[in-house]
Amino acid sequence: MKSRTVFGSIVMMLVLALPANGQLQKYFSDAAKKVKATENASEKRIILNESFQAVSKALDKVQSFALIPENDRVGIDRFKATLREKQDELAGLNGFARVSDEQLNAFSDYVVQDTEQAEAVITISLVTLLLIIIVILLLT
Amino acid sequence: MQDSHGRSVGDAAHPMLFMSISFAAFTLLLTSCSVDIPLRPEAQGEGEGGQATSSSIVCIIHGDGDYRYHDADGNEVTADEEALAKAKRVAERNPQAEVFIFHQKPRRHFLFIFPRRDGEFYYYRNGQLIANDLYWRGQGQSHFAPEVELRRRFPGTNQSGKATIFLYFGHEIPESDGVRYDASYPERTFAVHDLARGLGGFMPDSARFDLLVLSTCFGGTPHTIGALAPFARTIIASPGNLHLSYFDFHSLERLDLGLADGDVPAFAGRFAQRSFDRLTRDLQTDVSVAVYDADRVQKFLLSVQYMYDRTLTSLTTHSYTAESERCDCADLPAFVLPTMTEGVDIFYRPARFGRSKGKQNHSGWECWRERDERSAGSQSTETIPR
Repeated sequence: MKSRTVFGSIVMMLVLALPANGQLQKYFSDAAKKVKATENASEKRIILNESFQAVSKALDKVQSFALIPENDRVGIDRFKATLREKQDELAGLNGFARVSDEQLNAFSDYVVQDTEQAEAVITISLVTLLLIIIVILLLT
Repeated sequence: MQDSHGRSVGDAAHPMLFMSISFAAFTLLLTSCSVDIPLRPEAQGEGEGGQATSSSIVCIIHGDGDYRYHDADGNEVTADEEALAKAKRVAERNPQAEVFIFHQKPRRHFLFIFPRRDGEFYYYRNGQLIANDLYWRGQGQSHFAPEVELRRRFPGTNQSGKATIFLYFGHEIPESDGVRYDASYPERTFAVHDLARGLGGFMPDSARFDLLVLSTCFGGTPHTIGALAPFARTIIASPGNLHLSYFDFHSLERLDLGLADGDVPAFAGRFAQRSFDRLTRDLQTDVSVAVYDADRVQKFLLSVQYMYDRTLTSLTTHSYTAESERCDCADLPAFVLPTMTEGVDIFYRPARFGRSKGKQNHSGWECWRERDERSAGSQSTETIPR
């Protein structure tokens, strides 16, 4: 059993290792696809919210690992802050105007595009990013 | 039939045959790494069979990184491959141009040992592919030495009277430091001054490109434009985020028509407008495309150079990302000078969501400022300038 787990982890890491940066984007891109696939605005909000929460939880989890370097912790903090802002905007909290039902598809695209662009400034190392992806997969 | 040791000759021949086939396959594989196309006679010069060209384009595609993004349909796009396809299309659709394309690729190894060539070069003239070659890009200190050398192999490149255009596609080019820009060569640095030096190599004798298109994030900063201005008369860049394949390159097709009047600044304006239109259609994040007149922006650059460089030094000393963030230079009072708008045409639309969605204008210049952590997630969009 243990060897299977180890083997599974190695396979997972090999699969994820190459496009680690893209996996986070893909996660939000998949969420955006689901948002567009449903007509119901409440369901759209739930999909978006759950995606934010899953990634935030994964970030918290990874941040608690003792071996994560300080630079990555700073990057994770900033990434969490941007996710929190998106959650606030979706719900209309903290001074944000609530995203209207008609704008939810566009908002899901915004989340994907902003995450892709944020990579330029968020200096999370590839290894930490890989851990985040694995934790997201385990949590969802 | 058996040999003196009682083994069949056929048995003995098998290892030999296997080794021969392996050797042949290995040789084939190694040679297949090269896709040299013999130079056509017209490659030797315009006066010897090739038609005259009215414009010359040099295109560098830095594909050594993770360049993926998702389009609005959720399709994953490999940005450097898309940029390459666009560049080839431009080359094929320009009957009166010569086009040099350099695709800088990630370094890979055959059997984890033998390095494979990590650059690919295309030379088009009059819409025809004249040469295609793989090359090593990791040799020497200068980032563009192999590219400049390949460029010089073609004698029919007299620039006089031609419109000269340089296109660069890649990640944001660091303004200082530049470590780890190249994923395959992390020990090498690449910063704005390296690009400037490379431009000088492509255009010897202090000549300048007529147009430089910088398809990277955050190209429109005082430092970057100041460093590149000696090598180009007109520069198109984005002060904000911009994926490397985001610019619309249709304007570069049929330059014999689009640039028939020889008015490069006007052409640059049309190019920027068209790119802006496409980007605002596809993106929900902010869009900014700026055209810089390299001579007319000098007054502003000279006025702010000291301030900006001091900020850069401070950022390098501390931590770039932890304590600093990008902002419109117009948000910093010291940069708001009468000359700020001189020589800059900016096409800007704010993000449709997020804190900056209320921002209606952009100066065309991007600066750095200290990050205010208190602002994150706690104030209204109206009270937080970006």
